[in-house]
Amino acid sequence: MATDDLDPTTPAAAGTVGRVIGTEDATPLEYWVGIADDQFLQLDDVVALDRTLPDGQRVELYGMVEQVRARHEGAQYDSDVFLIEGGLLPAQVSRSAKVITTRVEPEVFVPPLPGTAVRKATGDERGRALHFDDMAQKVPAGLSRDGEPFFIDKEFLDGSRGAHVNISGVSGVATKTTYATFLLYSLFHSGALGAATANTKALIFNVKGEDLLFLDHHNARLDEAQRERYGLLGLQPGPFRSVGIVAPPRPGDANATPQVGSRATGVAPFFWTIAEFCKQRLLPFLFADAEDDRQQYTMVVHNVARRLEEATPTDGGGVVIEGQSITRFRELVELVDDRLNDDATVADWAGRAIGGGTVGAFVRRLFGAVDHLEHLIRADVRRRSSHPVDLDANQVTVVDIHNLNDRAKRFVVGVVLRQAFQAKEASGTAEPLQFVVLDELNKYAPREGTSPIKELLLDVAERGRSLGIILIGAQQTASEVERRVVANSAIRVVGRLDSAEATRGEYGWLPVVQRQRSTIIKPGTMIVSQPQLPVPVVVEFPFPAWATRFSETDGTTGPSTTPGTTAIPDDPFEGL
Amino acid sequence: MRISIEQWAPDYGSPMGPDALAETQAAVDAECEVPVDAWAPRSPAPGTTVPDEIAFVDGVRRVEARVWIESDRGSVHQGICASYAAGVVRCNGSATVVDAQVRRSVFSDAPDLVPIVTRHGRFGVCPVTDSAGDALSLALQGAMADLESAVSAPVPDDCLLVVDGPLRERRGMDHAVGYVKTHHVAYLPAVVQDVIPMLEPGQRTPVLLIGDRFRRWSWYLRLPGDRSHGWAGVVRCEISPDRTVAEAAAVADGCTLALPRFASEAHKDARAPQNLYPIAGLERELRHRLGDARLLYRSLRQAA
Repeated sequence: MATDDLDPTTPAAAGTVGRVIGTEDATPLEYWVGIADDQFLQLDDVVALDRTLPDGQRVELYGMVEQVRARHEGAQYDSDVFLIEGGLLPAQVSRSAKVITTRVEPEVFVPPLPGTAVRKATGDERGRALHFDDMAQKVPAGLSRDGEPFFIDKEFLDGSRGAHVNISGVSGVATKTTYATFLLYSLFHSGALGAATANTKALIFNVKGEDLLFLDHHNARLDEAQRERYGLLGLQPGPFRSVGIVAPPRPGDANATPQVGSRATGVAPFFWTIAEFCKQRLLPFLFADAEDDRQQYTMVVHNVARRLEEATPTDGGGVVIEGQSITRFRELVELVDDRLNDDATVADWAGRAIGGGTVGAFVRRLFGAVDHLEHLIRADVRRRSSHPVDLDANQVTVVDIHNLNDRAKRFVVGVVLRQAFQAKEASGTAEPLQFVVLDELNKYAPREGTSPIKELLLDVAERGRSLGIILIGAQQTASEVERRVVANSAIRVVGRLDSAEATRGEYGWLPVVQRQRSTIIKPGTMIVSQPQLPVPVVVEFPFPAWATRFSETDGTTGPSTTPGTTAIPDDPFEGL
Repeated sequence: MRISIEQWAPDYGSPMGPDALAETQAAVDAECEVPVDAWAPRSPAPGTTVPDEIAFVDGVRRVEARVWIESDRGSVHQGICASYAAGVVRCNGSATVVDAQVRRSVFSDAPDLVPIVTRHGRFGVCPVTDSAGDALSLALQGAMADLESAVSAPVPDDCLLVVDGPLRERRGMDHAVGYVKTHHVAYLPAVVQDVIPMLEPGQRTPVLLIGDRFRRWSWYLRLPGDRSHGWAGVVRCEISPDRTVAEAAAVADGCTLALPRFASEAHKDARAPQNLYPIAGLERELRHRLGDARLLYRSLRQAA
């Protein structure tokens, strides 16, 4: 009997990476593998093993390495390591890997037997382990640690079996928005959407910095290695082809030129006329704060909105209310204030039996909005072409709101989201899909309270799947977002998490090791969970092929003004 | 009067056998290296070097079951089923168990003895001429010693080979040093017993020639550690008498220089410091490889 025969780490066959160990329970759902001396397994490696049942049936178990450990066998005390390293005490380093089962084929849930040879799954076998063969349409979602592509089932994105993506992670290092845009890029360029690709639209709210204002520019920093990564995913690197960028007008600028810092051309302003504000009952979106939720004036808001709806629009976008012509938001607010303070009209405008205090609170709050929103709600701009957000002009529409005050952000998000939602409702068909990328979900759909935007987002989360409006939401902390919004997301993604946040129940779908991992995860790496796969997978996505800031553009201004946008005012000096 | 606590855990008894301090009747020649009146602790001679490689050999044995064998002729014989193992640790910068072998045998004087095949191992045949007294147990010990010889055979000659226990049973291991932790007999004449308490760690006594039938060179050395009493941490080494006294003294110096670093500490070993780390590690490994005793007992019962 030679020693080698006794050595359990000696692999029996080529391709074997180790054997199932018998000192830890082996179950159909998880087991440990002793790794052979000349092999290694790392986290996220995909492995496979076979078990033959007594009746001759062969069961294939596929799994993914969740944890790897190494320890000294033969050591009794921690300090034995010094004796062992000093050559005084014999010991063996044993390495083992914990495997979480991803698939059992056929579905006979038997444990692997200790001693069973385990092999690394590559190629088609890896695809089977990760259910890629079940996917009719695969959307590339990044590369796993070993440089192999990882896919998401399109059916869980487009509403046929599930919809919505939710991304959590600390700002700055989690690269949430970049991953959201990468997913969009992948959807639009991988061919997964088929013929519907051209008509599928995306609406992106740019909430921070000017990161998303260069989606239509090549990224000059994209090197060859990153291009190859795109190649591995079956994607051609490049910018988004059809991008429309809208930004709020510069406050105080009579021409409503868009307020953007780094991008000079191809940005159109967006605002709403007083007439649209009244007709479309946009007033409630001014009262979408948590603060508003605590007030009693919801009734007043709705009554005033109803009165404004009756206003007569004028050609210039203004309105005439009870004979008074209004072209500025401030004038409108003053008129409302006037009516509410007049005993003769207050019942008609605010509603019956509304207390003076409630009306007062409403008016104060309304006045508070004037400074932040008067450049967004106006009828004093002469050139009025393309001022509303046109979601159909381009495949990707970026609505820049990063310069706006919180209240104005809410207003814009609420109004544009409702516009998209109503458009989908009116169209009556799910296809083509409308994707909506929204960061800071905790602001728009907070866990506590209610607001018009939250109602809207809940509607999107719950009915969007059938309507064809797909939310790619992101937030720092999923624990602060309305449960139903997160729960309705088929695809969950996590970047770097704060360690306190990582322990919350909202991340219960993350195995313990991955929770730990999420606290040290690097930018460009995400943990992706999809319904078919019981284990979330850590993926790296390639460096964006589109510029994310001015310095990454190739210096030129990029594509000439995209259709439907123009930034050159008729008279640039008007209003000075 | 001064009381000190024995370093060894009580389960292991004392490194000093009951008669250890009594003067022995065995033949002892204490004047080989130095005259008796020149006896004093000796430090390794200047220029002595630690061997590049030291190999430790040890064996373990366990009786799995006692068996009764009824021969075809009707006679009843006693026997034992035992597992035993031997292995080598080579220490040359790292300590590695290079060879560990396990054997299972049935020892009995029954005629026509056949191997016992169980689900968890095959017990080969080891015929014994006599099963009286502790003959079976001695046969097992002999078989283990043979296995120790076998596993240490590939160790190169220039390597210091240390065998756990006296050399007595280990014929064919000429270049080995026997390492004796427990002193059953004091081989020192009373006049030089006084030298032992004077030993500092890393010092040895001069070389003696001991024994009548099994003659060998021997010396005592002190390992580092507790010195609560005069014999604390003292071990005895022995080598084959085929060497010259000068050779024996050189080996003794080498051992005295090399072994103290392997001495164990009290909190890690119940027989510290005498139970050397590599030997303790090897013994654990060998015991582990013997397998689970209850499982083997069950399989033997099933096979019988």
